[in-house]
Amino acid sequence: MMHGFNHKFEQQQAPAFFARGPSPFARLVFFSALSLALMATDSRLQYLIVLRQNLVAILHPLQLVANLPSQVYRDINTYFSTHHYLLAENKRLQLKTLEQSILLQGLNTLTLENENLRELLKANKSLTQNSILGEIMYVGRDPFTRKVIVNRGENHQVQIGEAVVDATGVIGQVTRIYPLSSEVTLITDKSLAIPIQIERNGLRAIAFGHGRDNTLDLPYLPTNVDIKQGDKLVTSGIDGIYPAGLAVATVSHIEITPDSPFARIICVPTGGVEHHRQVLLVSIPKPEILPKEVLSDLTSKKTSALPAAPEKVISDPAAPNKVNQPHAQ
Amino acid sequence: MGLLLPWSGSALQARPDFVLLVIIFWLIRAPHLCNVGTAWFVGLFVDLATGGVFGQYALAYTVTAYFAVNYQRRLVLFNNMQQAFYVFLLLMISQLTLLLLKLFGGAEIFGWQYFIPSFTGILLWQIAVLFGLKTGGRTRGV
Repeated sequence: MMHGFNHKFEQQQAPAFFARGPSPFARLVFFSALSLALMATDSRLQYLIVLRQNLVAILHPLQLVANLPSQVYRDINTYFSTHHYLLAENKRLQLKTLEQSILLQGLNTLTLENENLRELLKANKSLTQNSILGEIMYVGRDPFTRKVIVNRGENHQVQIGEAVVDATGVIGQVTRIYPLSSEVTLITDKSLAIPIQIERNGLRAIAFGHGRDNTLDLPYLPTNVDIKQGDKLVTSGIDGIYPAGLAVATVSHIEITPDSPFARIICVPTGGVEHHRQVLLVSIPKPEILPKEVLSDLTSKKTSALPAAPEKVISDPAAPNKVNQPHAQ
Repeated sequence: MGLLLPWSGSALQARPDFVLLVIIFWLIRAPHLCNVGTAWFVGLFVDLATGGVFGQYALAYTVTAYFAVNYQRRLVLFNNMQQAFYVFLLLMISQLTLLLLKLFGGAEIFGWQYFIPSFTGILLWQIAVLFGLKTGGRTRGV
């Protein structure tokens, strides 16, 4: 008994006081390998999506608690807003309602007229969009990407790929959904491309987020392109994600260098990418809404005019390059 | 918890890495409770909260924790200034690892502002030490 005990002691190389399991270096190697494996799995394979969704759902209450102080601050601020300010705002809003109701009257007649014309042409009814109102919970924490988290998720029928707009223009696109919240990649993110059209002459192009500051790039446009400072860019609607005609950005700077075949065009987003809280998640109009005879007609002609799958635009970075040669309508 | 606070604008750029500071503190203070594995696990949680690729923060924290643990016995003998300098180096190591991983992932460098969190972090560390957080430095000296 005693002998065995002594034997045990001799086997130890370091005094028991310092023995703490595996050495730090062994742990470093083990955990580094583990995280490298995780990174590879997460970026190349799709196994971890469900796990991530569930874990974020667990984090959700913590997030709500963390948001509480600023929420309370905002509530107090609105509670103590002055009588005068409220009166002024009321007046302004009434004026705006009046203006918009006049516009709306015109719109009603236009809608009717449009419907009549469509019936005459036997065209399918224009697709209706469903939208969900959401509020931005917080800005993404990763300094390398431009993302915000919105408080509407899978439980509110949000789907991946939905366009996110505010009152002034497009903000971004839903790229990840969690049970109670969803992650929106802003149009200023480097990985997001948005098909646009210049309002003035209908020229189609694709805008990419700049990533570093709050601007958009319009790459692959030749130096002789018809574009001016102050031109408005709107969504072209040919991607099946963004409804056509939403304001995206304004051209702020055009740089033409003799050594490059392409113009360098920088645009500033119209939507309040940085300052609005309320946003609208606009769902993708389903292609199934098209009447069956139209679809069969299309397939018999073997045209490829069907809108591409919406996921393609997000996940496949090479896809925009295929259509990067813009052409005037 | 500071990580989950809704930061925005320029404050977001200057936000110190609260989680890493807490880990470093515990690595120095109680290495038998908090080790490389703990740092890895917490890093995974941060990955989740930032919405990035799984494992990036985990790897950065692991490497940082390794350097912290390796020199832990010397670290508790340092005085406050030496310790602060070393913690600053640790914060930089974590940020550099992360930058490297992000660059592999196709991100762009956006200038020296990226390293502001290390400076605000060490500032926070000093404030915490001034307010009586015992990191080993002073208690050994007296």
